Amino acid sequence: MNPEVGRETALSLRGVTYTYPGSGTPALDGIDLAIGRGEIVFVTGPTGAGKTTLCLAASGILHHEYGGTLEGAITILGKSVRDYRSMAEIGRNVGVVFDDADAQLIFTTVEEEVASGLENLGLSREEMRQRLRQVMEATGIADLADRAPHTLSGGQKQRVAIAATLALGTEILVLDEPTAELDAEATGAVSALLRRLSGEGTAVLIVEQKLGELAAIADRMVLVEGGAIVAEGSPAQMLQDDLLQHPAGGGVRSPAPAAAPRSEAPPIISVRGLVHRYDGVMAVGGLDLEVAPGEIVAVVGENGSGKTTLVKHFNGLLRPTEGTVTVDGLDAATVPIAELARHVGLVFQNPDTMLFAETVEDEVAFGLKNIDPGDPGQPVDAALREVGLLHRKAAYPRSLSRGERQRLAIACVIAMKPNVIVLDEPTTGLDARESGRVMEILGRLRQSGHTIVMVTHDMHLGEVYADRIVRMEQGRIVYDGRTYEEEPCPRLCSMSPGRAPFTASTRSPN
Amino acid sequence: MQYVTRESAFHRLHPLTKLIFAAVVVALAVLTSDTVMLAVLSGTVVAVAVASGLARDLLRQVPLLLSLAVSLLALTVLTIRSGDILCYLVPPAVPVIGGAFPVTAGAIALALAMSLRFAAMLFAFQLLVISTQPRDLVHVMDRLRMPVDYTLMFLIALRFIPSLQLEGKRIHEAQLARAYNPGRGLAGKIRGLFPIIIPLVSNSLGKATVLGLTIDLRGYRSGRRTPMRDLVPGRADVAGICCMGLLVAGYLAVLVV
Repeated sequence: MNPEVGRETALSLRGVTYTYPGSGTPALDGIDLAIGRGEIVFVTGPTGAGKTTLCLAASGILHHEYGGTLEGAITILGKSVRDYRSMAEIGRNVGVVFDDADAQLIFTTVEEEVASGLENLGLSREEMRQRLRQVMEATGIADLADRAPHTLSGGQKQRVAIAATLALGTEILVLDEPTAELDAEATGAVSALLRRLSGEGTAVLIVEQKLGELAAIADRMVLVEGGAIVAEGSPAQMLQDDLLQHPAGGGVRSPAPAAAPRSEAPPIISVRGLVHRYDGVMAVGGLDLEVAPGEIVAVVGENGSGKTTLVKHFNGLLRPTEGTVTVDGLDAATVPIAELARHVGLVFQNPDTMLFAETVEDEVAFGLKNIDPGDPGQPVDAALREVGLLHRKAAYPRSLSRGERQRLAIACVIAMKPNVIVLDEPTTGLDARESGRVMEILGRLRQSGHTIVMVTHDMHLGEVYADRIVRMEQGRIVYDGRTYEEEPCPRLCSMSPGRAPFTASTRSPN
Repeated sequence: MQYVTRESAFHRLHPLTKLIFAAVVVALAVLTSDTVMLAVLSGTVVAVAVASGLARDLLRQVPLLLSLAVSLLALTVLTIRSGDILCYLVPPAVPVIGGAFPVTAGAIALALAMSLRFAAMLFAFQLLVISTQPRDLVHVMDRLRMPVDYTLMFLIALRFIPSLQLEGKRIHEAQLARAYNPGRGLAGKIRGLFPIIIPLVSNSLGKATVLGLTIDLRGYRSGRRTPMRDLVPGRADVAGICCMGLLVAGYLAVLVV
């Protein structure tokens, strides 16, 4: 677990074992990892493997900010983390991008955000301006300079968080899922930038679920499971390794065979001439779309292309500025949201946005009681059984794992038996196994007659699991076609940001 | 309430001038209970906003101020008896309880004064926040030798206002999509807050840790900041300080007379 021969060690963990306060099981178990100057190490593994804890350990955060039991030695540029006085001192050597981009954005304009760290480095104004311009251009956010960070899309926020950290020019970078919400183009830009920085001597530790371009630029790849390193090697070797293809506990199965969409039936969703403006800014402009009952449609596109704006019109959270939206025979521009909720279920990207009840059972019953105050009973159990959480019905929702919370969010929606189910980025933050479980559920729901619309920036997901891909760019639909056509659009294929780890490269049987 | 990117006259003022303006307005508003003086003070802040093209941003606070004014009026009418009785909430003709809850001129004057005081302070603070980038405020507070913890607390508070608003909106949308009904009556409304408040607090606590770490890692405790832009006071700042001097002088003159 040493850096490549000839490299001076920048970051080192020796025999690191860590247990969170109140937990009986170590989150990290005997980690030995060293990263040399100019080296890029890519760490991957399933959800809950300890990847984020590894990032916290490597950056000294566990030692300085968390309780719990930390054993072993962690050194940053030859100095033990115990000898650094504070995180502020470590911050001069280590830049960290956390997995929650939103929480890292402090200021009110993008330029201010990126410049904020630069102003504390003692650089001259000219140096600061030059570095600011370089970083913003390299991460593709130069055109967002005056925007308020909280108004950006998830991917744009992630790019700003990366830029603000890279601008610090630290000798070590620790990046926790830095491209989880980035499209292919942005991922490519970040990869190129990291490659350049490593060429200049920066040591880079990347933790990611998806094996895309970032894995390709790595010098070494490390697989973590159960808090321990279980495999390590070059990306080329590791990508061919059975361990990556079939993790313990089984890989991902393709969705259940799908019933053919009932294309002769009238469309269940009909969008005509949809225009939506936010404060005068066009978010979607002149969209036409029809979705047949029983279809699985993937709405794909880059960050900020208008995907979420489009689907929020289906359940009335947004009303059209111009045009019409009809869903399940209802005019979505005028029918109350509570009534549309019986017909259209929307699963938000982050399940924590909705979880509030004391038990899983109460959480699912909440929506049902809103539409029918009687005893929810049977539908709750049925929905929980469908998503494999019946045995957790008495659990506190927020104590579930990320994947379980995502499935619970789906259960909350399907219990209300809507004909149309819309999912916004249904697999973000999930490993391949959990992603696969979610997609299996969607396959079964379609078989039982539901229409599924999923919004995703992950082209691979659309290609594998959907009947049809609708691609959006700058608020317009630029491609609308079947995934099982013999010659898929070459441009679409070239946009794929890389396959998810551990997934079988199978297509929908359709 | 957050910084608005715009080229207004108030935006161009030095952050220290704007900070002094807000401090002067708050100090004067706290020190006087005279309704006319408070009205003049609130009017001055609104006039500055209108002259700078920022009046529309201030108008967003009017619903909040109106609900506050109504609450204060109800509170003072029910609890204070001072000055002439203008009328009764329960007409004297009503048997037994007739003449209860007299509405007095003193109660109304106090409610009005408190409402105007809040209006002046809120408008002044909002003008400062919407026209000044937080990093500029941080630099000014540094120069004033404010303890770094206070500066960072101020920064985090500013950061959390829009963030909480946005998160609250997102959670509200997620619950609306589950046919969430806020409920009827006061009890229903209070019960109906749980589906919003619980995720909002839980999510915010999680974000606070990352936010604190980010501030540390970006070197905000280093105490050696080099502002990227020169913040040099100009003629407008001199004029602004003079106007504030006149405002304070007028206030003192009224007190003496």
